[in-house]
This record gives sequence, structure tokens and C-alpha cells, in this order.
Amino acid sequence: MAKHTGRGFSAIEYPTGMNQNGDPSQAWIKIKPDGRVDVFSGTSDIGNGSKTIQSQIVAEALGVPYEWITYDNSNTDSSPVCTGTFASRATFVAGNAVLKAARQARERLLDIAAKELEIDPADLDVVDGEVVAKGAPQKKISVPDVAAAATWTYGELITGTGAQLNPYAAIVEPDTGRVDLPPHAAISYAACAAEVEVDDETGEVRVERLWQCFDVGRAINPTLVEGQIEGGAMMGLGLAVLEECYPYYPSVEHRGAEFGSYLAPGIEGLPEVNTIIIENPSADGPYGAKGISEMANNPQPPAIAAAVYDAVGVWVTELPITPERLLRALQEKREPRREGRTVVFDEHLSVNTVAAEDSRFRYEIPV
Amino acid sequence: MKAVGARLPRYDGVAHVTGRTTFVDDVRVQNMLWTKALRSPHHHAGIKSIDTRKAEEMRGVHAVVTHADVPRNVYGHLEALGIPGDEPLLAEDDVRYQGQPIAVVAAEDEETAQAATEAIAIEFEERAPLFDLRLAADPDAPQIHHWGNWYPHFEADFDHRQIRKGDIDKAFAEADTIVSGVYRPAAIEQLPIETQTGLAVPEPDGRLTIYSCTQALYFSMGVVAAHLQWPLNKLKFVGGTVGGGFGGKVDTATETLIALLALKSGRPVKWRWTREEEFLCSSTRAPWHMEITDAVTRDGWILGRKMLTLHDSGAYARFSPYGVTKHSFHHTGAYTIPNLHFDGYCVFTNRPPTSAMRGFGVTSVSFATELHVSRIADVLGLDPFQVRLKNANRIGDTSPNWISYTDPSTVPTILAIADAVGHELPGDYGTMTRDPREGDLLPEHLAAQQKLNGGH
Repeated sequence: MAKHTGRGFSAIEYPTGMNQNGDPSQAWIKIKPDGRVDVFSGTSDIGNGSKTIQSQIVAEALGVPYEWITYDNSNTDSSPVCTGTFASRATFVAGNAVLKAARQARERLLDIAAKELEIDPADLDVVDGEVVAKGAPQKKISVPDVAAAATWTYGELITGTGAQLNPYAAIVEPDTGRVDLPPHAAISYAACAAEVEVDDETGEVRVERLWQCFDVGRAINPTLVEGQIEGGAMMGLGLAVLEECYPYYPSVEHRGAEFGSYLAPGIEGLPEVNTIIIENPSADGPYGAKGISEMANNPQPPAIAAAVYDAVGVWVTELPITPERLLRALQEKREPRREGRTVVFDEHLSVNTVAAEDSRFRYEIPV
Repeated sequence: MKAVGARLPRYDGVAHVTGRTTFVDDVRVQNMLWTKALRSPHHHAGIKSIDTRKAEEMRGVHAVVTHADVPRNVYGHLEALGIPGDEPLLAEDDVRYQGQPIAVVAAEDEETAQAATEAIAIEFEERAPLFDLRLAADPDAPQIHHWGNWYPHFEADFDHRQIRKGDIDKAFAEADTIVSGVYRPAAIEQLPIETQTGLAVPEPDGRLTIYSCTQALYFSMGVVAAHLQWPLNKLKFVGGTVGGGFGGKVDTATETLIALLALKSGRPVKWRWTREEEFLCSSTRAPWHMEITDAVTRDGWILGRKMLTLHDSGAYARFSPYGVTKHSFHHTGAYTIPNLHFDGYCVFTNRPPTSAMRGFGVTSVSFATELHVSRIADVLGLDPFQVRLKNANRIGDTSPNWISYTDPSTVPTILAIADAVGHELPGDYGTMTRDPREGDLLPEHLAAQQKLNGGH
């Protein structure tokens, strides 16, 4: 009986936006008579922080304080189309829609300010809620005064609309999989190291430390990015060592139907998580951002499984690595089949072993 | 102050943690009815008859809805992408998973609704189920889906998703070592704190307001409109604030059925799934079965990959075909492998349909690819960082479907992790960049591919 420690590594990539694209998001903005900003977007906030992120993008693009933004995604009568909050698309795709809407509203704002200041709109900028003349900052008018002028002097409503739609990428050759356009809005990258402690008597795998590096393009809000990465790490830990709907898959027997019989990660299993964010801006994302929300639970399971091998010398390739599965693997100590230059692991799981002789799924492993 | 890059608190964070956010179940309206579903007790069975008369006559029951009440019972989530529907909103001729809804009841309270579902008489004819997707193509496998035991893809002559790139036979002929392995990540539950919940309110003007916890307001509204055969202006979806989704609230669970119950009863109707329903009847992350065989050189280059993927789609397609396609596009992970032979099947089994969950289609292959690369390094006796770094995709390399990578950060992220854990790398690895390949990092097998692609 002993406890063993081990380390494992992984490097992953993940697309932003719906696979093959074709997933629109739209937004519109109106400015109230005192310069405060209403943003209407159809993006559901599922806890990913899209209300915050989109409000930050609008504040930045308009040049007004974040606190001036009211964000409304509450209903389909007032909010335009958003394909939805999935496919890591809310920051990139829906974020681009609000960015375009904000830029259009900014143009309208500058048009009105230009009349008030008698300066060409191209020579104006918006900084911290004030429209200022480039190179002559004493010539300025506050955004509230511009909005008031629009409402009461010129009889206009300052609005902006924006839509983002990356064109649908068709599979033009179903035999090769070739596509005619990039089938993603962007691709994000991450690497991970895991350190585990494995008890070879109880079979328990305890994840002690995780190091994770994500290239997020640009962190619109570093706190929320870290939240995604660290929350994702816990979900990845669940995938690796705890969670399964069918404990005896493929059997459907003994399914857990309550929190007490389905093991989800809890705070007691929280490892030390070290997060590194790097920023290589995406060419097309809002302020260079890419999506990383989904991939945040992808790098841990393979790093943890490799760390288990490093610790106790068995490859467990069926997840999760429960105490039962690990103890069986330690007991069985399966060796790969070696034939010439070929090394075949996990043969007992393969369709070549399990499926009928003439099954469509069987295939040849070159020797 | 710059807004972008600022560590601002969440827009809705304080309201969430102080319990002041209004989620769908917090919305109460006058005269609201409650919903329960009659669900299949069988994994696979024919339905010979459905008799709802007794339930309809029960005191407190205001509406019972079966397939006969649905204007369009079969509507596919991916019809806009040319993928027809296969799943009935309410079961008609057969049931294909335990927990499949057959009828829904709206009553004065949940207890009455539950009692009414139990008063519905159904005659079943049990059939053999299929659970092991590896056996789906066996000659004696039970036939469980009207399209066959795996998704037919409806395009050209392909009943699966395939990738063919480069010269796979040459890659294997030239390999020093061939490494094969099987990877099986499990089905898991999205596990949101807020179970599937919806409220449908008939408005005086004839519209329906639907309070929904969907992750996709317009998508879900489109699904309801299609089943009802209604224009969008008769529907108003209220939502946008979701108590956890993780992909489990992209498929539309409650909205259409409560809409039908509200129309039939003329009353507002709420349905909130129990935790048991959330666990047993909702879609899960799919279990995947992946077999990878790689042709490698003794110094760690991956020349080619043969891969078989079987995706456990459960009883119906839902978003699974999309997941398998996305999976195929990313089946080389963060590496550039020029010679590929990939076959992916979206296989039906008699378990609740699997569908979207965080990392859909790729979480599986990230696990398989990465553990396989760790094994390759171990078999060859090489440093797992160095094997990853040399094969890492770089600017100008191409993806499995010939798309040029414009800003891959595999090398920078790996180097950051090596540095963080104190893993020492020899000079030419430690100073590697993501810039286009040259010199030792552009060996013959990759140069051949770049030439084929017209160079970069």
C-alpha cells in the first residue's frame, strides 16, 4: 500500500462559434436623453457573464463609463436574433454584433456633437463620456449634452444596429471532408499540466495541482476569464475522475438520479489551480478576443489520465478513473499486443474484438 | 477608464448571490396550472394504444396532450441545416428510451397532474433494446431506428462522416512504429442547479408568452413556432437569465408542451422538471468510443492517423450529427498530421438522446488525442513536451479539412506550461515559435503536404 504522485500534460485547441458558422447574432442600441445607453441583445447569460462582457464592449466602443450601460436580453419582442449561448460564441460572435451597433451609435453621436461644436465629426473623439476635439481637448461637449441636443434640439434618436454572421462553410467533398471556407470564427489554444496523488490501496485519484495556460486573444474581463478557466477545470476534473451517468456503461442499470448518487465535483476536491492567460489577439474578434468557455473543461481529463500512468503505470482510457476502474486496471495490468513495429493497446475494448466478424465497424490495424 | 480589460464585477453577480435574480420558477401568475409527463417505462417498445379518457375526467385536470394534439409532431433541431427530424415531440407508434414523453397533463397542482398521468392507459409491445454501440452494425443487432442503427447523413452516398487527406498507406508504410489505442469518455449530466423549467401564458390578444430557461431564445422560439405552425409574431419568449446550462438547455425541453397545454386549457401552465427527470430523462453529454492508430517515426513525428469514432447518440439524432462533424474537423487536436483516414458514425442506442454539452464533439477527441500522444511519447521513450512541440500546429499548417491555421498558439501555451512546472527543454525547443515551419521542423512528410496545398 502506498501513495504515488505523477504528472501528465496536454495541449488542446477549440473552435469559436458554431461549427461551419452560419450562426447570426444581432444587437441594437439607443441612447437616452441624458446620454445613458440601452443595449438590446438576444444573448442568454447562462452564467458565462455575457451581460457583463457585452456591456464592457459597448462602453469601450462608445467611450462612456461602464455604469451608463443598461443591458436588456430579457425578451424576443425587444431583442433581436442571437443564435444562442453555446459553441463558445457569446463573446466573439454576439460581442461583434454589439460592437458594430456601438460603433454605429457612436457615429450618430459624433454627427450631433459636430453640429454643436461646429467641428468635423472626423476630428472628434469620445473619451470618458465627453466628445472632445482631437488635438484641442478644451473644445468639448459631454455625451449627456449631445444626447439632450439630439432629443430636444434636433428631434433625433441616437441609435445603432449591428449584426455578425460568419458565412456558412459547406462540406464540398463529403468523401474527403474538404470545406469551402473556414468552418470556425476563430480557434483558441490551451495547455495543461496535472499533478495527482494515487492511492493504490483505495484506488482514489486525487488531483493535487493544475497548471493551465489559455491563449484567449484578449481578456475583455480577466476576472471572468479566470472564472471560466477555473470553473471549467472543476468540470474537467469531474469528467476525469468522478462523473458518469451510466456506471456500468453500456448497461443502463444503476443510474444515479439524485445528487447523492451522482458524484459531481465539490469544493473539497478543489486542487491548487494555477492559471496563465496569454493574449495573441484574434484578427476578427471584438478587441481581439476569442472564445474559451467550452474548452475550459477539455485539457484536464487527458492530463490527469497521463498523470495516473506516471504515478502507477497503468493507462486508464475509460473515464472516469473511479477507484473501481483504477483498482481493476492495477489488478489486470494489461500489456499491449506487440506485433513487429505495431503496439496495440486496449484490444479488449476494440470493435475488432467485440463486434461481429462482418460488422461494418471493424477495421484493419497495419502491421 | 478603459472598459475592455477591466476586472469589473459581474453585471448580475450581486443579484445572483443575494437571491434577488428572477429565474423562470420565480415567476408566478394568476390561475396557473402545473404539468407532469407520462413517460415510457420501457427502453424500447411499440405503442398499441393510448387511452387518456380517465385522466381527462379527473377533477382538477384541465388538459391532456398527446401526439394527436401537436400540429407538427416531428420537427428536427437541425432542419435549417438540411437535417430532417426524427424525434416526435410526444411518442406516437413507439418509444425508444426509458423516460420518453408520451403524454403531458396540466392540472391544478403537481400531485393531481401526476395522478392523472398514472391514469392514462397505454398498451405496449416490448422490443429488444440496443445499448452497446459497438454492436450496432452486427447482423443480429436489434433494429431500433427507422433510419437504421446509425445516422444516414443524407448527403451523397455517405452514411457517416469521413475525412481523407494525404496518402495514408504511404504514412503507415514509412512508419517506424504504429501505436493503437481505444478511448471511452463517459456520458455525464450537465447538472444545472435550475432544472428544465417553463411557463406559458396565453395573453388576451391571442399571443403566447413563454418564460423559458433556454440558452437560445430565438432558437427555442423557432422550435415552438414550427411545432405549432405559428408565425413568430404570435410568440414572445421571456428569458435570458439561466440558472446553469452547460449545453443542456439548447435542446427545447418544456416550451412546446406547455404551449400546447396552455392553448388547450386556456390557462397559464408551468412545468418544472424534478431532479430525477433532469438526471434520467434530459439529454446528457454523449459517451464516445474512439479508436486511434497512429503511424509514427522513432524521433516522434506523427506521419498519419487512422481513426474510428462511434458517437452514442441515444435514441434520436438531436444535435449529435453536428457534434460528430465538429469532432471530425478537430480529430487531430493541436497537431498537424498530414495523412488522415477518419470514419465517424453517429450511432443510435436505446438511451435518452445525447446532445450538446460544454465542448461538444471536441472534449472527447481532446481526451483521446492527448492521451494517445502521451502514450506515443512513452512507447518511443521521448519527452512528452518535445513530441507535442514538434508536431504542434503552426501558422501555415492546415487542419484536417485543409483550412490554413492563421494564429495557432499551441507552441506558446505549451512553452508557458513547461516554464510553469519547471520542465527543462533543450534550446531549440525552448525557443520555438508558432511561425511557419522551416529547417528541421519541416520534414519531408510535412513539406510534401505544404507543396500539395500550394505552399503558404
